Order: sequence, then structure tokens, then C-alpha cells
Amino acid sequence: MNINVRILTKSVAQQYAFKRIVTFSTKPTQQAAAAAVPQQQEVTGSTVRRPIVPAHYRFVYPEFLPDPKVEWRNTIREKLERLDMLDRRRQIELPEFYVGSILAVTSSDPHAAGKTSRFVGICIHRERCGLRARFILRNVIDHQGIEVVYELYDPTIQKVEVLRLEKRLDDSLFYLRDALPEYSTFDENMEVESLEEGAPVPVNDIKVVLRPRPWLERWERQNLLGVANIEQYIKDKHRKSSEKAQKPWEKYDLMKQYRATIPEEEQKEIFAEVHTELHTLELQRKRNKRKRTFVKPKHLA
Amino acid sequence: MLRTVLSDLARLRLSGGACSVTQVREKGHLSRPRLRNPYWFIRQQRLQTDDQVTGENRSFIKEVIHDTYGTPALIKGVQTYEQKQLIKTDEAPISTEPWTPNVRRCGLIARKIGQYPLWLKNGERIRTTLLQVVDNHVIKYIPPEEYKPTHQPNVKNLNRYGCVLVGAESTNPALLTKEYCGIFRDSGVMPTKNLARFIVSPQAALRPGTPLNVGHFRVGEFVDVRGKTVYHGFQGVVKRHGFKGMPASHGVTKTHRRPGNIGGGGEKGRVWPGTKLPGHMGNRWRISKGLRIWRINTKYNVMWVQGSAVPGSTNGLVYIYDTILPLRKPQEAPPLPTLYEQPEDEAPDDIWYEQVHNFKDETISFKPE
Repeated sequence: MNINVRILTKSVAQQYAFKRIVTFSTKPTQQAAAAAVPQQQEVTGSTVRRPIVPAHYRFVYPEFLPDPKVEWRNTIREKLERLDMLDRRRQIELPEFYVGSILAVTSSDPHAAGKTSRFVGICIHRERCGLRARFILRNVIDHQGIEVVYELYDPTIQKVEVLRLEKRLDDSLFYLRDALPEYSTFDENMEVESLEEGAPVPVNDIKVVLRPRPWLERWERQNLLGVANIEQYIKDKHRKSSEKAQKPWEKYDLMKQYRATIPEEEQKEIFAEVHTELHTLELQRKRNKRKRTFVKPKHLA
Repeated sequence: MLRTVLSDLARLRLSGGACSVTQVREKGHLSRPRLRNPYWFIRQQRLQTDDQVTGENRSFIKEVIHDTYGTPALIKGVQTYEQKQLIKTDEAPISTEPWTPNVRRCGLIARKIGQYPLWLKNGERIRTTLLQVVDNHVIKYIPPEEYKPTHQPNVKNLNRYGCVLVGAESTNPALLTKEYCGIFRDSGVMPTKNLARFIVSPQAALRPGTPLNVGHFRVGEFVDVRGKTVYHGFQGVVKRHGFKGMPASHGVTKTHRRPGNIGGGGEKGRVWPGTKLPGHMGNRWRISKGLRIWRINTKYNVMWVQGSAVPGSTNGLVYIYDTILPLRKPQEAPPLPTLYEQPEDEAPDDIWYEQVHNFKDETISFKPE
């Protein structure tokens, strides 16, 4: 969505230098991403003939980067997987979205009335790569928290709409399960909130209020930014144990970071392969969208 | 020789002493069968010495290798050599007998390159493993009369099956021993890193120099895949056999991941054979049988096979056979002895089984009744 417009102005590039290099990386990579972006700009300045891949592709299409575990890698498999992903993307628009965005997924369901079902919810997690990429949507329906796991490339998915494109302060929002229900309640008939073309994706800095213990996870240990009242519920013993569990040295562990990410050179290679295809798909979608907006006035009149 | 000496000794003792009979234990005719390894079990790697060869001569050696065998090329996603003297048509087949359900065909050597899901047309998700057939060539065919297997089976139709020697992944012969390269001399094929023998019926005999491709198998058929499982080293009972272990606390001491009792008392007062105990885990040959081929890619020689539990690690070697499960054997004749690929063939790269959803197709939707 609107990607080619916001290529590489400096402020935009900084915008994308956020938490992760790949979906499954850990927080310490923040600095690395920030360091990587200015280099990219230099390349664009010089006269390089190869297709220049926008630096934010790794955040928009994180599933195109393979699992960094060396023992599981194979170039042929990765290539075949990417071809399949592109084939699927030619059939369906899989828009840019992040953890914290609100999505509506329409999928074929043999058991539903009318054989389709639509689910609106906030994306609380994105994981895995390749054809296995999946995300979790959460909503509260009839006072009951509901979560649905969708596979991004599942051919039974008919439509993925991004109702509100935004990010949150954390990598995954599992703590919404222990938060008050209003924080994960979203209207089923929500309208699409369109973003201005070329605008950076806004970060919603809302602080969630947790319910009292017992919790599903020990949130106090996870250095969460999007939780307001964690101090209220933890005692001294929790504070002590959480201090003990901290690993402040990990952000200096270069090898750990290296093993958890795909090197930048390889990322460029991978995206150079799929870039033209993805770019044409984006343009096509944009053209179709304009056509649709042109039709709209009829409905009003 | 030894036996005769022993028996002589025994006779001497018998005749010498009047009543004292010394027992002489000998193996007699019950000796174990001697393991006769096939002739291709030879040391493969040459001792790499720092030969005092100039760079010029080194490049000359390379040139000679390329002249005799072929130039390096990337064929079907595998780095190999473009060999000219391969047999790519079925002219002059060894046998013209038709296929019958009892025919055993040759297998393939492949690498397990990973796994990812596919979807069926009814929306069901299946897990598949990708096997890439890596540059396979027939090295030799040994007819049933000449083939002497390591363990000779004591059955009626002893000489029913011949043997096809298949090599995978051509490599620089300068790295290999002279004896190992000798195996390939008559075949006209470049020496390969990997060798495997497949027991075949005479109807399925193949000529040396025939390349084998993934088209040897067809989509929808079932295969058996043999591989060496991942080695985990010496493992305890929890990891090796999935025992539950014992509680971490509540007064439990020194026995958290131990097996517990391993046998009864009284008449059964011993450890019974087969008791699950700690030991080496993995690194064993295992065959997963009856896996369906869901999809085939002829461009990269890849087949998508049912399941994600094919033995072996990613990028490890596996061997693919026609299945031996009686109900999953093919009903129609498969390509016999193999499918010869023509370069002019305009067949699509991807061949999908009819039940599998092609990613190029439209989204799956169910019709209301």
C-alpha cells in the first residue's frame, strides 16, 4: 500500500528503523536497524543499476525472509517457497499490517452460514516465515475474548482488510489477554480508517490496564512498554525475581543477533528477486483502488 | 585350514588318552556368514597432500577434466557438470518385457531440502517435505545371474533381482581415490560423491549413463523414503522414549528424569530384553513408508511428499523407492525403466496432484447447498 511514494526520505527511513529486523528477532536489534538505514541511503545516492529495493520492505513483507536457523536453510526450497507466495499474492491482496493493526479477515468456512465468515480484531502477534506465516486476531465478542489464528497464505482466505493501520509499543500484544476487555474490544462494523498517502504508519502509544493476578505470563519480566499498571500488582518478591531474570548483556551479544537475523546482504538479494513483482502488484492494486473510488459518487447520488 | 588342524588335534587326544576326553569347542558349520562387501565399498576421499604443482599445471588438470567429462554447469538447481555422453533416449533398452505389478523399479537418491504446507482443494492444510533429486546417473547394471548380495537370502528364487548402481552429485575426480574413480570407468559418467544400489527386476534394468530425474515417479503415487535419522547422542529416557520423569519438587530427590522401575522380581527377576532405557538416540536408518507425492517440479527436480517426518536432517541424503505397501502400489504402469526427458518437452514445470490447490488458482470457496 502506497509504498513507492514513501521511499527513502530521511524521516521516513527513521520511522522504519523500529524494533525488528525480522519478525522473530529480539529487541536488542533496534540499534542495528537504526544503523542499517543510513547505509541504504548512500546506495540510493550512487548510480547503481540494480533494482533498488526500498529499505522498509523487510517490515512490510517480513515473511519473505527465511528462518535464519542455518541448519534449516536451503536456497532452492526458499526460492520455490517465494514463487508460491508470489503466485498467491497475485490472487489476493495481502496488505501491509503490523502487530497492533486492526484487521478484518473474510475466509471460506464450510460450516458457516453462507459459507464465509468475517472476523474483525486486533493483530496481537505475527510469526513464522514463508508459506507458514501466520497472525493472531483478537476481539471480545459477547463478553468473551476470541482469538483466531490465520495463516497468511491459506487459500481459503478471501479478503484481508486493514481497518486501522497502526503499530503499538510492543512486538506482541499477548498481554491483552490479561488486560481489561475494553482494550481488545472492536466494533464488527468498523469503517476503514484510511491513512494519507505517503504518511508514516502511526504508533499508538496507548497504555493498557491489566487485571489483577493471576496472569497467563509473568508480564513484569518482559519490559513491556504498553502496560500502565504493572507496578500495582507486583510485590517485592516479583520485583526481585524479575530483576534476576533480566539479561541486560544480550543486547551486546553480536553472535546471538547474527544468528537470529538474516544478514543485510542476503535480505537485499532476496528482495531484489521479488521486488519487481511485488512492486507491480502494488501499482496494480492502487490503480484498481482509484477506479473503485471513481465509482463511489454514484452510490451517494 | 584351522578347522582341520583342530579336528586333527582332537583325534590325537582321543587316540592318546584312554579315558580323558578333552572337549574341543569349534564353530563347526554354524559359523557366521562372512560379510562380503560389494566392490564399490572403497575408500572415496584421497589424502589431500600439498602437491608441488604450479598454477599453470593445476589449470591444465582442470581443463583435462572438463574435456573428458564436461564443463561445470548448473543443471536443475544443482551445481554439476554438463556431460555429453549421457543416454537420454530409450533406444536399445536392455529388456522390452512389459510392466507387471511385481516388477521392482530403480529408486532415486535425493536430498531433503525442507518442508512447507500445501492446501488441498477442500481447504485442508497438509504438511509436505520437499525432496530434491540431485544429479542422479546410472553407473552400472548387474544382471541377476552375476549379482551376489552381501547377505545371500536363502530363498527359492535366488537370482530373481539384479542390481542398479546409481551415483549422485558429480564431483571433481582429482579429489577422489584412483580405485573409487575406477568404479565409474566403464559407465562414461563422471565420478559422484554418493553411491547407492537398488535391487531391481530385470525388466527395470537401466543402461549405465542414464540420468534419472524426478519424472521417474508420478504425482499421486506413493513412495518409501529411507534416510538416517538425526543423531541426538546419548540421551536419557525422557527425550529418547518420551517418559514423563518425576516431579521437580514435593520431596522428590535425585530422581527427576530417571526411568524408575525397570522390572519385576521373583521369576521375572531380571531386566527383560527391549526395556526402554537411556542410550544412543537417532543415527539409524529408518524408512517412512507410503508417502504420497503431492506435487512435482521438473525444473528443479523437486517432489513434495506427504508429511514432515521424513527421516534425516534438512540437506541430508535420502533414498526414494516405490512403496512396498501392497494397497498403495501403483495400479497402472509407471515409467519403465525410467522416464527419459526430452529437451524439447513443453511440459509445465509444476505438476500438481488433482486434489491439491494450485497457488495460481483462485481462492477456495465453498458452494452453499
